Amino acid sequence: MKFKQLYPILSLLVALSLALAACAPQQAAPTDEAPSAETQEPSSAMTEEPAMTEEPAAMPKTDRHGGWLDEIDVSVVAGDSAISQLQAGAIDLYSYGLASDVYPAIKEAGLQYSQSYGGSYSIMFNPAVFEDASRLNPFSNRKIREAMNWLVDRDYLNQEIYAGGSLAKFFAITTQLVEYTDLIDTVRALESKYAYNPEKAKEAISAEMTAMGAELGADGKWQYNGAPVTLIFLIRPDGDGTRKPMGDYIANQLESIGFTVDRQYKTSSEAAPIWRGSKASEGLWNMYTGGWLPSGLTRDERSQIQQMYLNTSVQAVDPFISNVSDPEFQKLGDDLAQGNFSTPEERRSMMERALELSLQDSLQVFLIEQVQYSPFNDNVAVTYDLASGVEGAYVGPYNLRFKDQEGGVLKVGTTDLFTEPWNTVSGSNWVWDSNIMRSTTMGTGNITGTAGLMGDPYTGLAWPQRIESAELTYRKGLPIKQNLDWLTVEAVDQIDVPEDAWVDWDATEQRFITAAEKFPEGTTANIKSVVTYPADLFETVRWHDGSPVSVGDFVMSMIMGFDPAKPESATYDESLVPGLEAVLASFKGYRIVSTDPLTIEAYNDAYNADAELNILPLWPLSPFGLSGENSWQIFAISNLAEANQELAYTSNKADTLEVEQTSWVGGPSLEILSKYLDQAAGESYIPYEPTLGQYISKEEADLRYSNFKKWFDEHGHFWVGTGPYYLDRVFTTEKSLVLKQNADFVDLADRWAAFSEPKLASVLLDGPGQLKVGEEAVFDASVFFKDEPYSQSDIQGVKYILYDATGAVVQIGDASFMSEGQYQVTLGADVTSKLPTGSARLEVAVVPLPVAVPAFTSLDFVAVP
Amino acid sequence: MAVVTRTPSEGVVLKKSTSSSTFTRVSRYVVVRLLTLFATVVIGVYLTIMIANMGGYVDQIMRNEVADRITQSIAANPAMQQLDPNARKKLIQDRIAAEEQRLGLDVPIAIRNFRYLSNALTLRLGRAINMTSDSGSKQVRLIILERLPATLLLMGISQLFLFFSSVFLALNLSRRYGNFWDKLVVALSPTSAVPAWFYGIFLILIFAAVLKVLPFGGMVDSPPPSNSFDYALNLLKHLTLPALSLVLSSFFLSIYNYRTFFLIYSSEDYVEMAKAKGLASRDVERRYILRPTLPNIITNFAFLIITLWTGATITETVFLWPGLGRTLYHAIGLYDIPIIVGSTIIYAYLLAITVFMLDFVYALVDPRVKVGGR
Repeated sequence: MKFKQLYPILSLLVALSLALAACAPQQAAPTDEAPSAETQEPSSAMTEEPAMTEEPAAMPKTDRHGGWLDEIDVSVVAGDSAISQLQAGAIDLYSYGLASDVYPAIKEAGLQYSQSYGGSYSIMFNPAVFEDASRLNPFSNRKIREAMNWLVDRDYLNQEIYAGGSLAKFFAITTQLVEYTDLIDTVRALESKYAYNPEKAKEAISAEMTAMGAELGADGKWQYNGAPVTLIFLIRPDGDGTRKPMGDYIANQLESIGFTVDRQYKTSSEAAPIWRGSKASEGLWNMYTGGWLPSGLTRDERSQIQQMYLNTSVQAVDPFISNVSDPEFQKLGDDLAQGNFSTPEERRSMMERALELSLQDSLQVFLIEQVQYSPFNDNVAVTYDLASGVEGAYVGPYNLRFKDQEGGVLKVGTTDLFTEPWNTVSGSNWVWDSNIMRSTTMGTGNITGTAGLMGDPYTGLAWPQRIESAELTYRKGLPIKQNLDWLTVEAVDQIDVPEDAWVDWDATEQRFITAAEKFPEGTTANIKSVVTYPADLFETVRWHDGSPVSVGDFVMSMIMGFDPAKPESATYDESLVPGLEAVLASFKGYRIVSTDPLTIEAYNDAYNADAELNILPLWPLSPFGLSGENSWQIFAISNLAEANQELAYTSNKADTLEVEQTSWVGGPSLEILSKYLDQAAGESYIPYEPTLGQYISKEEADLRYSNFKKWFDEHGHFWVGTGPYYLDRVFTTEKSLVLKQNADFVDLADRWAAFSEPKLASVLLDGPGQLKVGEEAVFDASVFFKDEPYSQSDIQGVKYILYDATGAVVQIGDASFMSEGQYQVTLGADVTSKLPTGSARLEVAVVPLPVAVPAFTSLDFVAVP
Repeated sequence: MAVVTRTPSEGVVLKKSTSSSTFTRVSRYVVVRLLTLFATVVIGVYLTIMIANMGGYVDQIMRNEVADRITQSIAANPAMQQLDPNARKKLIQDRIAAEEQRLGLDVPIAIRNFRYLSNALTLRLGRAINMTSDSGSKQVRLIILERLPATLLLMGISQLFLFFSSVFLALNLSRRYGNFWDKLVVALSPTSAVPAWFYGIFLILIFAAVLKVLPFGGMVDSPPPSNSFDYALNLLKHLTLPALSLVLSSFFLSIYNYRTFFLIYSSEDYVEMAKAKGLASRDVERRYILRPTLPNIITNFAFLIITLWTGATITETVFLWPGLGRTLYHAIGLYDIPIIVGSTIIYAYLLAITVFMLDFVYALVDPRVKVGGR
């Protein structure tokens, strides 16, 4: 009876549980479905149009200055709840990249999304011969490492672990980005050669194991010296959790061909002392699930060969040091890293060969190029960097808006904020903090070690942000090429550095050291850039506190690049010395040619293969490569606090002095900085007066301090920039902040509207399903963008690769241009006669100019006699 | 009861003697107790330090992490890529050496351990190794203080509500043993096997994602309201779900525990006697049930108060609540020993003081207990 009384309650509980369970977001079902022939390219994730599947949000002409939005509210939101919060309207955009396993959930929720690279995973091998001669390390044999490429099915990993949202990766260079796209025929052919083929792997590994003295026992297990060949596999279960299933899969594959695998699940900190910290020949490990950070939209990845395989790698830890590479590979990798080539063509052929040899070396077998997704609501327009996503796009804050309106309040969620103190010498460099900082700057970004350019989010090239004209001169023989026409480029036999160029800093006398003083015999440089700024620069560009930008800001930025690293300086910080030494190794000087209009020459020995990236404009942006801008007065008062040992820019010095690290946005720093602001204002203080006194007047100093004080009183922080948004309020404990539109910004809101969306190409291939060997066959390729033909002037090339049934490359060539968006592949009789009878595949790769991502498609057909 | 007869003069001497012996007894007890507790705190904190740095193994981990971090940052810097390999190697080594020095890895572990210990015991909490406070400070004191109000608010409201409501309801249930509500509580008590964060996820799903009436997490809206009243209301709105999840996860079990506890005392002979005498049930509860259970209730309450300090790590994480639990969790992940030790020493001192004070409180509320008595 009593139990009967409980029935209704229990029933109610069960019903409630079911209702709650029904509310749960649907789990993305892992797909077992084999991809169709037309879509089985590993490139599927990046070649489909990512976010902008709708009509581009073409905004009408506007007279609005600064950002499109009135206000951006940024707060910390857990990635787990990002999709739910977007659906509930709590946020409009989640700017941090989510791992690709959420890709199906984003699509199911009907959200838009951006794609970017989130790093890569590999299997790293211990290449050493073990000191214990009784133990065999199969991976000391390059051919076994090479064969591992055939043993792993990268597409399976992508489908099963990353829901098909990432990319199969074979090379150290970023998959489907600039280098990859430039070498498209080579890399696709190599990918086909090293595609999953377990029988081939087993055959190659068996032959090598036998040659090394191992025997396959009756139980199907490899034996050496009477004991099973046991591979110690360090598998990381931490991080995003994907390395564990990846490691388990590879361990299963190895066990299937007779190895005994000792799976040791260790976190990063547990595994590092073993794979990094131990001597490789001690034999504490054989394999490790490696992971590498994304390198951004880097156009030049030639140093990756050395870095990822060779014993000369910057990694300089034992697995690399112990690797004995093929001498040809070693030389190629080192030459590429050191720039020992003189033409782009020579570089290209070196890269082609190096990539081929890298798969033969396979100190690491790369597996997955992770793609990340930043979801956002349908009514929001987002510009993102193809490599580093929403938070890595310099142009992002300019174009962020609601599609159907000017203004409005946009709510953004991200993974963290204020992770470290904010200052532009050694403050926070976390991507989520940097993204906010960039919203407050002129949009200039640190692209090649200098500032003043706008990074192209789709190609990695650079555009002038506030430059009237730019000239590049480089020494003849350097492999530099020009891509865009906003600069003039000239090659000369020799570039002499003028005697009055500023090449270093004398912290005692507080003046620049000239080239004549440092190099009495004279010196030369590899490149020279001359940048002329707009004539109205100092009238139109203002700091957020209302003060006009001045030459003093530019010169102060230069000084701060040197002074804190000089022992004689009042703000000396020894942790900054190595960085300055590295810069001075190639830096050859700055020269202010004119202040009206501002014209600055820069000389350097370091150079980039793209002419645009060799322009070295100055801007009052962080001299240490961080993302914020810095007025001269913020450095002035921060330096006073630093000199009095009350604050320190770097955490190293702050720890040594046991003081707070300088933060311009919060914490105990603010009170100290406020005190020195009052002091500086009272004295009309001009920092580094022997030098800056020539550029800053007492009146300017008074105005600066007065405006700065008003700003601090109103906003409660010292973060001012010149960008399209200003930092209105900061809530460090609540982890949120408010950005507001800078209506005084010099440019209109549509300044970078041309970058609203990536012009990703799509390609269709049509042709016969059957051809006769020895007879000509013609295939048609259509290249388009949003149903419109892709302009021929925007296409670098359309290539084709013909594979036989085994995946071997039969022919590589260029498709012929027929009309806008139409190309033709003609396989001559001599080509088709090379095809064995049976199935074959034709692949077409399109290399567009406006974006660094290629487009692929392929068609299977049958070759009959 | 034995009756002792004595002369007045004997009585005076005896009183003095009794007073003196009480003082001696209590003094001796206080000294011994304090020394014992202090020794316990020292051992506890030292063990925490040893565990936090895994007997020195953390040094090895940190050295590798430092080397990896600096190498990757230089490898990823385009400006460094054309540097001469030897110059680059030297740059990496210099930076690694500077960072190891900053982290104190150049000082032997034993010396560092005793330094941590002595600083902790004297409450010089020092500076964190890696973590900063939300406002950017590295002082452990500020890192803890910054998070303390949020933790006290969440834990205080939820745990105090839980405590008082449990005692009140349990007392009521113990009077109505076997009725519908009593059975309901007994039936629902296994729901406390589910952790608070799990309830948190469900509550978020219902009230934030589906009904959209309460926020997903955080302490206040973004941006926070500017006037204090609105801020307080907003705070309350954000507090509702995490506090509710903490309460729900323990509610029925807590009532069940107290109800069982009260039931045991309710069935004592002297309670039956009181009832038989016809005393009002309120008087029976107060004098015959609550009074003897008071030491246990006070003990529970005192420990509850100091437990507030520890926060609720996973619940705070689920709700992005900026509390001490998350701070400590991050500190453990980053091997930030000063924060771990700082948090531990304060808890250890609070615990020691509470234990010490409770001995006296027991003597005050329960005449059967004598401080230092055997």
